[in-house]
Amino acid sequence: MTIPGATMFVVTAIFAIAGGLITIWSKRPLRAAMGLLVHIISLSGMFLTLNAHLMAVLQLLVYAGAVVVLFVFVIMLIGPEAEVGPIEGRLASRTLSIAMVVAVVLALSTSVAYFDAPWVEVPEGFGTVQGLGLAIYREAAVPFEIISITLLVAIIGAIGVARSRTE
Amino acid sequence: MGIGTYLALASVLFGIGAAGFLVRRNMLIQLMSIELMLNSVNVLLLAFNRAYPGNHDGQLFAFFVIAVAAAELVIGLSILIAYYRIKKTLDTDDATLLKY
Amino acid sequence: MLLLIILFPLGGAILNGLAGRYLPKAVVTLVAVGSVAVSFVLAVVSFIELYGMAHDHVEHAALGYHFYEWFSVKIPGGSVVPINVQFAMDSLSGVMTLVVTGVGGLIHMYSVGYMGDDEGYPRFMSFLNLFMASMLILVLGSSLPVMFIGWEGVGLCSYLLIGFWYENRDYAAAGRKAFVVNRIGDFGVLIGMFILVGVAGSFEFVDINQAAMNGEFQGSFPVWLFGMAPSLATVACLFLFLGCTGKSAQIPLYVWLPDAMAGPTPVSALIHAATMVTAGVYLCCRLSPLFITSDFAMAVIAVTGTLTALLAASIAVVQREMKKILAYSTVSQLGFMFAAVGVGFFAAGFFHVFTHAFFKACLFLGAGSVMHAVHAHGDADIFKLGGMKKYMPVTRWTFLASCLAIAGFPLTSGFFSKDEILLGAAAQIYRGDNALIHGVGWFVLIGLTLAAVMTAFYMFRLYFLTFTGEYRSADQSGDHPYDAHPHESPPSMAIPLMVLGAGALVVGFLGLPHVLPITGTHLAEWSWWGHWMHSSVAGQPVPEELHIVNLASGLAFGAMAIGISAAWVLYRNKSEDALQKMIPARLYQLAFDKWRVDELYAATIVNPLKKVATAAGHADMTFVDALMTKWPSFKSREIGRLLARMQNGVVQMYGAVMIVGFVGVMAWYWTPHSGIDAEFEGTSVALTAPAGLGYQYRWDANSDGEFETEWGDAASTSFEYEDDDIRGVAVFITNIQSGIEKRLNVGDAWIPLPIESVVPSEFLSPQEIGFEVRIDGRDLLFRKPFARTKTTGGRDIRLPMGRQGRLGSARVVGRPLVEATVEVRNAFGNSSVTTKGIPLPFDVETPAHASLTGHEGEVAR
Repeated sequence: MTIPGATMFVVTAIFAIAGGLITIWSKRPLRAAMGLLVHIISLSGMFLTLNAHLMAVLQLLVYAGAVVVLFVFVIMLIGPEAEVGPIEGRLASRTLSIAMVVAVVLALSTSVAYFDAPWVEVPEGFGTVQGLGLAIYREAAVPFEIISITLLVAIIGAIGVARSRTE
Repeated sequence: MGIGTYLALASVLFGIGAAGFLVRRNMLIQLMSIELMLNSVNVLLLAFNRAYPGNHDGQLFAFFVIAVAAAELVIGLSILIAYYRIKKTLDTDDATLLKY
Repeated sequence: MLLLIILFPLGGAILNGLAGRYLPKAVVTLVAVGSVAVSFVLAVVSFIELYGMAHDHVEHAALGYHFYEWFSVKIPGGSVVPINVQFAMDSLSGVMTLVVTGVGGLIHMYSVGYMGDDEGYPRFMSFLNLFMASMLILVLGSSLPVMFIGWEGVGLCSYLLIGFWYENRDYAAAGRKAFVVNRIGDFGVLIGMFILVGVAGSFEFVDINQAAMNGEFQGSFPVWLFGMAPSLATVACLFLFLGCTGKSAQIPLYVWLPDAMAGPTPVSALIHAATMVTAGVYLCCRLSPLFITSDFAMAVIAVTGTLTALLAASIAVVQREMKKILAYSTVSQLGFMFAAVGVGFFAAGFFHVFTHAFFKACLFLGAGSVMHAVHAHGDADIFKLGGMKKYMPVTRWTFLASCLAIAGFPLTSGFFSKDEILLGAAAQIYRGDNALIHGVGWFVLIGLTLAAVMTAFYMFRLYFLTFTGEYRSADQSGDHPYDAHPHESPPSMAIPLMVLGAGALVVGFLGLPHVLPITGTHLAEWSWWGHWMHSSVAGQPVPEELHIVNLASGLAFGAMAIGISAAWVLYRNKSEDALQKMIPARLYQLAFDKWRVDELYAATIVNPLKKVATAAGHADMTFVDALMTKWPSFKSREIGRLLARMQNGVVQMYGAVMIVGFVGVMAWYWTPHSGIDAEFEGTSVALTAPAGLGYQYRWDANSDGEFETEWGDAASTSFEYEDDDIRGVAVFITNIQSGIEKRLNVGDAWIPLPIESVVPSEFLSPQEIGFEVRIDGRDLLFRKPFARTKTTGGRDIRLPMGRQGRLGSARVVGRPLVEATVEVRNAFGNSSVTTKGIPLPFDVETPAHASLTGHEGEVAR
């Protein structure tokens, strides 16, 4: 890996982790949403180091541009909720859950870190808009269409569920 | 700084998301934690694809993950809104109708 | 043919039992009566055939039919005894079959009229047929088990028929009482059967009787009773007699018979007069050669019979209801029969069975006829009857004929049979080998005479009070009066009465006495019965001295005369019980209450048993239920509640549980699974390790510490082992019979050889266990460290590797042992190592037949 690549990785990794921690640690949902935003943006940068250009852009467009916005809208709708600390009640099971997760993560990360595949050269057009686009329309055309239907269904479903029932 | 590092990072992010999901009581935050986990999976997929760049399978899959995550989030949020309207709270510790 | 005799009633029973409800009454009748009629015809045909054989002077003439072999049992002593379902008709069973089918057929006909209006009519006919079939099995069976099937079958039918009107609790209780009391007797029969088969080695009657005649039963019984050693015959006979007391209503198990009058009258007539109750006498006659060999058992039988006769007669004298009187009369007459058996006059006893069937059945049917006429339910009080001779002439004359017969009026059948019995008692007195026989003879003679007096008395009391005088219920006063206008019975009931009544008068001539009293005329050649029975029934010789004959006949005649005259004086044309005024009130009441025997039984046996049962029930509820059911159920509920806390409805809990599951799955895949499978091709070994996603392998085929291959995807490898790869020897010990194999890795040190883990040590001889083994060069050495084997004298036994040898009953073979190692790594980077010892199926070239024989040291077996 190249030095700039590595630096980029480290920076984005730090921000990603920080953003994640803010998300799960904040008392206020808006703060959490902002943390999520930071996380997503930094992940988008990380994708660039992985030669996934289109994915990076899509990440920004969809996640940062739509998902986080959606979260903010919903927070707006609901109004700010005061919550008593992130951890309260059921202390024992919560501690246990965290301990479990930490253990699993430690085990997992320490073992997968040894995955050593060489940092090969990427073929031409790998991960670019054209490259990935062609792949989508060639190999994954059907799932692509189905995805659009899925999104349509999701929209309809959302409307149906969240409609206010004032008849 | 090989692919393994990316994998380790993905694991850590997944763990952060999982911990957030398991510990927080606010439903919104839980949904955000789910997004964290989905993102970590994306990192994983893209990293493997970078390791084996013969085809675009990993990125394709990540593409669809994003799309599906969006769709699922839409539904989830609408359910949350509907729930909030009725229960006037987003506290999962009170959402125990599925109790035995 | 014999089988058909049984199958027809059986078929009738099944047909009527299953489909009788849906068939019209005529069909049911046809099936039921027809099957018995056919059976009777077949019985006659068989009898004629048998008669022909006997006429041709065939010794021990018998018809036989072998149906099939049921199963076989092992008796101590090692032999296997088959139980064959086999039927035989000899002279004894021939007569009995005729009686059963003939009288049974008549009673079936009678039932058509008597039970025709009852709504359980098809059920009744079905049960009657079933009874016939069972009785025929009993009579025709050629071995004790087959007879016992019939024995139980008639017991069952007795229960079904006594409790026929089951909705009445008392009737049902009576049925139950009969069955339970019978069962006690059945126990006796079974024990007796076991003793007999143990000695005689066979269940067949012919074999047992032959063994008895050979004196095989004279050995003493292994268990001493009261300081005496009884003979096997005595013990077996006493147990069998217990069964007879149950089935044939003797002391102490007679208590069910009077209660059995709760059943319909045809039932009483058939079962409790003519057939079932005579099964006990039949059994004794069947095994007469056996019974004769035991003086003590015979004495017991004689005394019991006499006592029963006296006891029952004394109760009958004061009873007020028709069927009760007849029931006690039956018990009393059975006592007569057993007394005859007890003094050795088996044929005479059976002759009384024969004649009794006729007159007692006629009496019962007549009683039924009277009850039918006055619409009495259950039983008829004779003090409410009277003057029946005006309304029911047929019934009256047949009843009178039977009364005369039972009292022993000269020239009736009962006269001849009762005479013979008393003759037997008299003969015993004069035979008098020892004090026991002599005393028993006197006892029987006096007792039976008294009983005969009472018999004549109560029978004619019954007759006079019922048929003479005025009809006491005509004015319909008193509570529950009978019908004011009695009528004669329909022909279906009258005809059997007439047939049986005629028989009661006539059949006596079949068994003429050997010597006429007073005149001393020799009639022995004319006595058909004695000759006929001789081929199948043993017995004491009939005396021909005139003084003995006169004694017996005189007593019989005198008894009858006294009894009838007393009854004439006291009861003819009277309407009250004169006897009641003559006897002290307490005595009268006791006799009326059946001497309180039932109460005695209830107090001493029945109630204590009930208490024990109740206590056991409580124990069951308290301990067993609590321990076995309540406790486990509570505990599992608690555990369930505990586990249910995982489902608290909070999503995060479910998520946490999912993570736990995830971890579990991860644990499976964390380290790779490695192992080695070996396959042999020629002299090279192919080793294979399990495959998995992303696995990599490294092989060290001879475990020398160096891996032959490097990390690669090769899941298998092959190797040729050499001599210096051999690490040890694997000794396989196999059991010849069961194929269990044990493997032992042997090195240079002595290791004990675990033959006992392959063959349990009780099957091993001492020379086979305690061996030790080790390698010596290329051979195995076996030694017995602390003992010397017989042939080896302490030398070791040498077995070349690869050859199979025998150590007693176990096979041993040694194979060279090599080790292989593989290391497997998965994508997580975790690896696992497996080392496995592989025994090689070497073929080593050594001298042939190197089993542990001959000079190598055979293990003596």
